[in-house]
Amino acid sequence: MSVVHAILRGVSWVALVYFAVLSLAYLTFTLVAWRRLGAHRRARKYLPLDEMYASPFTPPISVLLPAFNEETEIVSSVDSLLDLRYPRHEVIVINDGSTDGTLERLRAAFDLAPVRKALRTRIATAPVRASYISRTHPNLWVLDKENGGKSDALNVGMNAATHAHVCVIDADAVLEQDSLLRIIKPFVDDPELVAAAGGIVRIANGCVIDSGLLVKFGLPQSSLARFQVIEYFRAFLIGRIAFDSLNGVLIISGAFGVFKRAIVEAVGGYARDTVGEDIDLVVRLHRYLRTRGDDYRIRFVPDPVCWTEAPEDLATLSHQRRRWQRGLGETLWRHRSQIANPRAGAVGLVALPYFLLFEFLGSILQLVGIPVVLVSWLLGALSVQFFLVFLAVSVLLSVLLSIAAIMLEEYSVQRYKRASDIALLALYGVLENLGYRQMTAFFGCRGVVDLMRRRHEWGEMRRRGLERPEEAPSAREQARA
Amino acid sequence: MTIVALALSAAALLMLLVLAARRLVLARRERGHAESERRVRPLALAIVEGSGGEPPALSARDQAVLAEVLGRYSRELTGEADRRIADYFHESAALTSAGGELGSRRMWRRAAAAYTLGDMRCAEAAPELLRALDDDKPEVRGAVARSLGRLGVSEAALPLIEALASRRISNEVGGEALIELGSDVVPELRHMAGHPDWQIRATAITLLGLVGTSGDSPVGVEALRDSSADVRRAAAAALGRIGSSDAETALRATLDDPVDVVRAAAAESLGLIGSRAAASELLELARTDEFRPAHAAAEALARIDPGSLAAAAAEPGAGPHLHEAADLRKL
Repeated sequence: MSVVHAILRGVSWVALVYFAVLSLAYLTFTLVAWRRLGAHRRARKYLPLDEMYASPFTPPISVLLPAFNEETEIVSSVDSLLDLRYPRHEVIVINDGSTDGTLERLRAAFDLAPVRKALRTRIATAPVRASYISRTHPNLWVLDKENGGKSDALNVGMNAATHAHVCVIDADAVLEQDSLLRIIKPFVDDPELVAAAGGIVRIANGCVIDSGLLVKFGLPQSSLARFQVIEYFRAFLIGRIAFDSLNGVLIISGAFGVFKRAIVEAVGGYARDTVGEDIDLVVRLHRYLRTRGDDYRIRFVPDPVCWTEAPEDLATLSHQRRRWQRGLGETLWRHRSQIANPRAGAVGLVALPYFLLFEFLGSILQLVGIPVVLVSWLLGALSVQFFLVFLAVSVLLSVLLSIAAIMLEEYSVQRYKRASDIALLALYGVLENLGYRQMTAFFGCRGVVDLMRRRHEWGEMRRRGLERPEEAPSAREQARA
Repeated sequence: MTIVALALSAAALLMLLVLAARRLVLARRERGHAESERRVRPLALAIVEGSGGEPPALSARDQAVLAEVLGRYSRELTGEADRRIADYFHESAALTSAGGELGSRRMWRRAAAAYTLGDMRCAEAAPELLRALDDDKPEVRGAVARSLGRLGVSEAALPLIEALASRRISNEVGGEALIELGSDVVPELRHMAGHPDWQIRATAITLLGLVGTSGDSPVGVEALRDSSADVRRAAAAALGRIGSSDAETALRATLDDPVDVVRAAAAESLGLIGSRAAASELLELARTDEFRPAHAAAEALARIDPGSLAAAAAEPGAGPHLHEAADLRKL
C-alpha cells in the first residue's frame, strides 16, 4: 500500500470517527432537549406571570438597544420595547455615531429633551456626546455617542443603566410581549445563583409587525430565510437546551439576553476587539465565576421569544457567517487554556471542545472532504458503494435532526399554526442538504481565512425591513402625526 | 452502514408521520375546546352574575372547560362575582379533583392543581395547600404560595414568611401572596421583625413597608440599627412609605451608614417623606458619595427642595448627579 493510500485511509477513518461522535452528540442533545422542553411546556399551566407582573418584588430591568444606522427600524423597535408587559423597565437606546437619520427619527417620534445623564465610569468607552430623555415616555433614554462598535455601545449602556439587571437587544429585534417576564423567571427563582440568561431567537421574515408587536406569524417568502428558520430551530431548540442542562451555555445571543450588571462590570464589560463579543462575554463570565468559586448558572430559557430579520441575499448571509466564524475563532483562541481543562467544568470539558471540533472545524472538514473524496476516487482508493452509503447516512441523519427540531417547535413554542408551514419546513429540512449547507460551510471557511488575515470589520448587513399591515397607520402612528 | 441508513430513513419517516398525526389531533382538540367554551360561556356568565339556577348536567369535557373559564374570570373579578365563583366550585367535583391531584406523583400535576385551587377561591382548600407548602419541588411551592395569597387565608401568613425567608419560595410570588393577604399579616410581620435570622427580619420589614402603616414606623426605626446591612436597607426603604416624624431623624443618621445601598435607600426615603431638614446632607451626599447613594440623594433633593438643587447644579463642580436631577426637574 502506497503512502498516499495510507494517508487517504487514515483520513477516512478520522472522518468516520468524527461523524460517529458528532451524530452521537446530536442525538444525545435531541433527547435532552425533548425531555427539557416537555417539562417546560407543562410548566406553562402554573407559570405565575400575572403575579410577577403585579409584584413589587419583580426586579426592574434596564433594556439596552445599541443602534448604528438603524433609521428604518429604530422607532418600531423602541415602540415594541416600551410596550413590553413588565412592571418596571427602562429602555436605553445607544446611538453609536450613526451617519443616517437614526437620532432624528428618535427625536421626532419620542419628543426627546437633552438631559446631562450621570454615567458610571467603571467600563471605559468612547465619549458620549449627549443624552436625552423622552418627554412622552419617562422610561426612555437615548445616548448619542461617538462610533466605537456594538461592544462599546453596550458598555455605555451598562454605565448608564439604572437597574441591577440589564437586557441586551438588537436594534432590529422584536420581543414578544411577555418575553421579559419569562426571561427574568430564572433570576426570580434563583436570585443568587443565576448570573445571565438568554432567550430563543427566531426568524421574523414572513411575520407581520404592527406598532412594534408581532401580529401575524408566517414563514419567510425567501428560500434562503427558510433554510435559516431550520438552522435556528436546531441551534436553539436542540443545542442550547442541551448545553443549559450542563451549565455549559456559551452563547447568549446579542439579539436577546439578560445579565446581572455587577458581574458584567466585574469582567470589564463587552470586549471591543472581537466581533464575537457575545460568546466572549459569556466565556469570561464562566471563567470569572468559576475562579471565584461561586455556585452559579448561566441559563437558556426556551420560551421568551425574540424575532429578528434574517439575511435574504447571499452577500449579507456571507458577511454574517464569516463574522460568526471569526468571532468564534477569536474566542476559542483567547480562551484556549480552558479547552479540555477539567478546572473549567462542563464549559472546558464539553462546550468549548464541541464548539472547536464541530462548529469551528466542522465547516473546514466539510469542504476538505470534497477534494479528499475526489482524489481517493481518482486513485482508486475509494469504495464507491461505501461512500454512497456513508453519504446517504449523513444526509439522512441531518434530515432526521431537522425534523426532530421541527417537532420540538411543534411540541413547545408552536408559533406556526398552519399545517402547510410545518410541511414546508420539513421539505426545507431535506433540501438544505443539497447546496445550502455546503454554501454556509464555504462562508465559514472564508471566516477562518479572515481570522488568519486578522480582518476585524463587521461587514455590511443589508435589511429589507419587516412586513407591516397595508391598511391605515396604527393608532400610535396616527397620534404622532 | 446500510442498516444504519435504513434505520435513519425509517426514523425520519416515522417522525414525519407523528408530526402530521399530532397536527391533526391538535387541530381537532382545539376545535373541540373552542366549541365547548362556546357552549359553557353563557353558563359561566350566569354563575358570575348570579342569574342562573341549578347548573345543568355537563359532560366531563364541558365541566373541565367551565372550570377553566371560571378560573380565568376569578383572576379578573372581585366581590360578589368572585364569591359566586367560589360557591360554584364549593359544590363542584372540580375542587375535590384538584385537591386529589395535590398528592400526584408527577410534579407538574401537583403544581397545576395548586395553581387551579387558588382560582377556585374556596378557603376549604387552605389546609391541603398549607401542607403542600412543604413540597420538595419549588414549582409546587410557588404555585401553593400564589394560591394561598389568592384565597386570602390569614393563617397562611406565618408559613409564607418562613418559606420566603428560607428561600423555599421566591420573593416575587411569596411577597405578592403576603401583600394579597393585606393587613391581616401585619401583627405577624411585626413579630418576625425581631426574629434571630437576619433573612427573616429583612423580609418581614420589607413587607411591613408594603402593607403596614405609620404605626409600624418604630419597628423600622429600630431596624435601622440592625447588625445586618440587608435589614438596615430594608428598614430604610420601608420607612419611605410608613415612616413618621420620628423616622426622619433616624434616616438622616443613616446617611452615614458604611454600606452604600443603605445610604441610597435612606436618601430615597427622605425624598419620599419630604424631609426639608435633610436638604443640606442630601446635597453633600449628591456631590461627594459613590454613584448609587449620590444618585438617590440628588433625586430626593429634586423632590424636597428643587430651588436649592437648581442653585447647586449651577455651581462649578456640581457633579453629574446634581446636573441630571436638575435637568430632569426642569422638564
